[in-house]
This record gives sequence, C-alpha cells and structure tokens, in this order.
Amino acid sequence: MLTFIEIEFLKLKRSKIFLLSLMGAILPPLLMFIAVTSFDEGQTFEALFSNVNMYMSAMFAVLIFAIIISYLFGREYNEHTLKTMLTIPISRGKFLMSKYVMFLVWILMLTVVTSVSTLIFGFAAGLEGFSVNLFIDSFAQLLYANVLLFLTFSPFVFLSLFITNMVPAMVGGAALSLVNLMVYGQNWAPFVPWVCPYLIASGEIAQYATSISVSYGVILATFVIGLAVSYIYFTKKDVAL
Amino acid sequence: MADYVIETNNLSKIYSKNKVVNSVNMHVERGKIYGLLGKNGAGKTTTMCMLLNLTYPSSGDIYLFGKNPKVDSGESYSKIGSIIETPGFYENLTAYENLKIIAKIRGDYDPYHINSVLKMVNLEDAKSKKYRDFSLGMKQRLGIAAAIMHSPELLILDEPINGLDPFGIKEIRALLKRLAHEFGITILISSHILSEIENIADVIGFMDNGVLIEEISKDDLYSRLNKFVEFEVANVDLAVNIFRELELKENEDFTVSGNTICLYTHLELRDKFNELFVKAGIDVRKLNLCEENLEEFFTRFVSNN
Repeated sequence: MLTFIEIEFLKLKRSKIFLLSLMGAILPPLLMFIAVTSFDEGQTFEALFSNVNMYMSAMFAVLIFAIIISYLFGREYNEHTLKTMLTIPISRGKFLMSKYVMFLVWILMLTVVTSVSTLIFGFAAGLEGFSVNLFIDSFAQLLYANVLLFLTFSPFVFLSLFITNMVPAMVGGAALSLVNLMVYGQNWAPFVPWVCPYLIASGEIAQYATSISVSYGVILATFVIGLAVSYIYFTKKDVAL
Repeated sequence: MADYVIETNNLSKIYSKNKVVNSVNMHVERGKIYGLLGKNGAGKTTTMCMLLNLTYPSSGDIYLFGKNPKVDSGESYSKIGSIIETPGFYENLTAYENLKIIAKIRGDYDPYHINSVLKMVNLEDAKSKKYRDFSLGMKQRLGIAAAIMHSPELLILDEPINGLDPFGIKEIRALLKRLAHEFGITILISSHILSEIENIADVIGFMDNGVLIEEISKDDLYSRLNKFVEFEVANVDLAVNIFRELELKENEDFTVSGNTICLYTHLELRDKFNELFVKAGIDVRKLNLCEENLEEFFTRFVSNN
C-alpha cells in the first residue's frame, strides 16, 4: 500500500488541484485573521481555533473534499489512465482502496496545513491565550472531524465514478456546504451525515436531544453504503476507454 | 498441437441487445504476429478489451497462455503489454515519470531500463517533456514503451500506428517485427489499414460486424487472392456480346467498368478471347493479367460473408 501512496503522490506532481486544496485549507484561517484584524472578532487563540474548526469542517472541507474526490477518481477516466493502470495489472479492489487511502492522507495533510496556518495567523494578529495544549486539542478536534467527514464521503466516490466530470462535484460540494449551514442548529442536524462530524468533534452534539451513537450510526451507515456501492460499481463495470 | 497464447471460445459481448462481438473463436499462436483486420466498429477494440479484462464478456471463454485468467489470479495479465486506442498517461507528468509509475506498480523500477526503453522508441530526448506537450505520434511511442517495458510475452496493440508519420510507422513496424522474430514475443495487432496488417502480420483475422470471419495465414491468403484478366477495349458492348455468346455470365465470370472488362474465369483462354475480339474488329488497347490486392480481397471477402 505504501507504494500506491508514493505513486499517488507522484501523480500529484505539478498538479494545480493539490496547490488549490492547500490554499483552500488556508482560507478559513485567513478569513478569520481578516475578521479578527478588521472587525475585532475573537480576540483569543481559543476563539480563533474554535471558529476556524467550525468553518473548516462544517463548510469549506465539504467543498474541498468533494473536489479532491472528484479529481482523484475522475482524472483516471478523463486522462484515460484507468485502462493503463488496470492492465499493469492492478486489481480493481486494490486500486479503489489505494484511492480511499490517498484521500485520507490528503485530508490529514490539509488538517495539518489548516491548524498550522491558524497558529501562524493567530500570532500575526497578536492574539492572546496561546498554549501548546490548546493547539493540540484544537488540532485533535479538527482531525477527528475531518476523519469522520472522510467516512461520509464514500457516496461521493460512487458519484465521481459515475459522473467523472469535476463540475458536478464542485456544484454538489458547494450545495452541500450551504445545506450544512442551513441544517446546523436544527433539531435534526445530528441525522445529517455531513454535519455530524463537526457536532461530534466539537462536543456540540451534547446540546441536541439525539444520542451521539445515532450520529455515529449515521456516519458509519453512510460510509458502508458508499463503500459498497462504489466497490460494486467499480469492479463490475466495464472500463470506459 | 499448436501452442496458443490467446484462445477464445464463442466470445461475445452484448451492449443493450446489440451484439458487438459475436461468438469469436480466436487462435493466436506463440511467436506469431496476428493482425486483426476490420472496419471501424467491427468489434476489434471490444475483443481486445475483453482479452485484457477491461470489458467483461457477456458469454464465452478466454484462455491466455493456455489458462483461464479468471482462475490464475491475474498472473497471465502480468505477461501482457498493451495499448488500447490512444495511450493514457498522466498529463502533468513527464514521459519518464509516467513510466516510473508503471514500473513502481509492477515492482521492477530501474531508471537505466526506463531510459533504454525510451531510447528504443526514440523518446530519449523527450523524457523530461510533459505528456500534455506530446504530439500524437510521441504519445503512441510512449504507449509502446510502456507496453514493452516489462518484457512481456504477449503484446496486444489496438491501432498502435494511429497518428504516426510515415517514418514513425516504419520504425514501429521494424520494432514490432524485431520483438516478434528476435525475442519471440507474440503480438496481436489490430488495424483498419490493410496495407499495414499485410506488411506486419503472419496471420490475419478478418472481423466484420462483431464476427471473426476467418483466420488466414499470410501464405494462404496470397494463394487465395483472385487473379483476373483485364481487357481494355474500344467497343465494350460488342466484346460483352462475344462473352455472352460463349455463355460467360456478367458479374460472375466477368465485370464491366467503363471500357474495361475484368474476366475472373477461364483465364488460360485469354489469348483466344483476344483473338476473337480482334477478329470481330474490336481494338484491344490493353490486356493485363492482374492479381487482387488485399483491399479488393477484403472487400470481396466481407461482402461474401
């Protein structure tokens, strides 16, 4: 599997999408930095980390992850490389799994970039109240939220196999981000797979009447269904040339 | 008993009631170059995709190296190099990096070997050039490099000379012949360009409307090419009347096109026919003994079948 990850990284060489995703990961901290310096919002590191984590995992990450998924899977169709890869040969199951793992690794990198850039912007804005423990807690919260969010993206894998164009993924991701904003705060938010990760990771789930295990169940069910559907579709469908 | 590297048994593919490959029984012998010849849409690419497990057959069996690939865990596929239609490579990567990815997955990455393969297909100067900047001919050559990099026992090449200039075609043709005859690599190559298949193949499979009509060795093919006599005469109607009086049938024994009559039977009597024409006052401008070329043979063969 390490070879596959190494190869996936090699495929990203000179890739604009990779750079764009990194810029996307920096965007929430940058926006919060502008808010802090321009509108005096959240004068402490704690508030900055909290706001960045919320905007990142409930809004920006949804859009960025949708684009990443679409690129990771769709490019193999759009650049006609799938036939080259599968005839090496690689088993279709292994190929699909390597993409899932790469997606997770990519998410981990974005999480690090978001957290570190938040830290840098926080110091640049001259905020107070920094501690290593606060940073570690904030990073762990964002990491947990993003990993849970990763699980909810398996249906997007199926969609990107089915519609290989990146445009629907971008539109879908943007739409889902808006839906997340609308749903956030509603009673049934813990039932929505793409909102649950932030609610669970931030601890806000405790404010809802629904049990946390229901949200975990929703995330797990989404993952299993998406994984099963994408696996069946990818392994049973003829390769488009 | 012949040693077949590829053998199919009633191989078929149906796309929404449309049978694009219909009960194909293909036999590709070890060490031979097998040319799959057919018009666009004849089913050549689909057949090759099924051989490579890119497309699943609707029915029928495939045997690669004498084994059913479904039960040998894909071992057969590792002995195959292939190009299907235009080669697919990562556009943001260079030729070298693309080959590196393939070699890494195969577990036989060797920079020296990649360089020597690029040299073999005349891409050593373009190894650092991004794939997106390649011409179609360069893409085809990189596809061939990727296909032969792991020294396969079998090459499956779908229209590999597409986009190549005449010099490129000559080079690739020579390379493929060398791979087959010096290194014993079996090659299955498809094309709709008859002259190309005629130039390169030892055995030709004629495919039309999803059906593999016949597999013919090149020697056998040449012996089956029709011979005919071509008369160019001043008065065609009179000459045709003479043939009719001799009970020769139009479109069966002879055909007429302008001032030319092509005679397909009784060729040994051509001098007698010439005498008859001259005696009847017909000016015979030309009398040629001709042989059908592959294109004419293919057209006749397909329409007869």
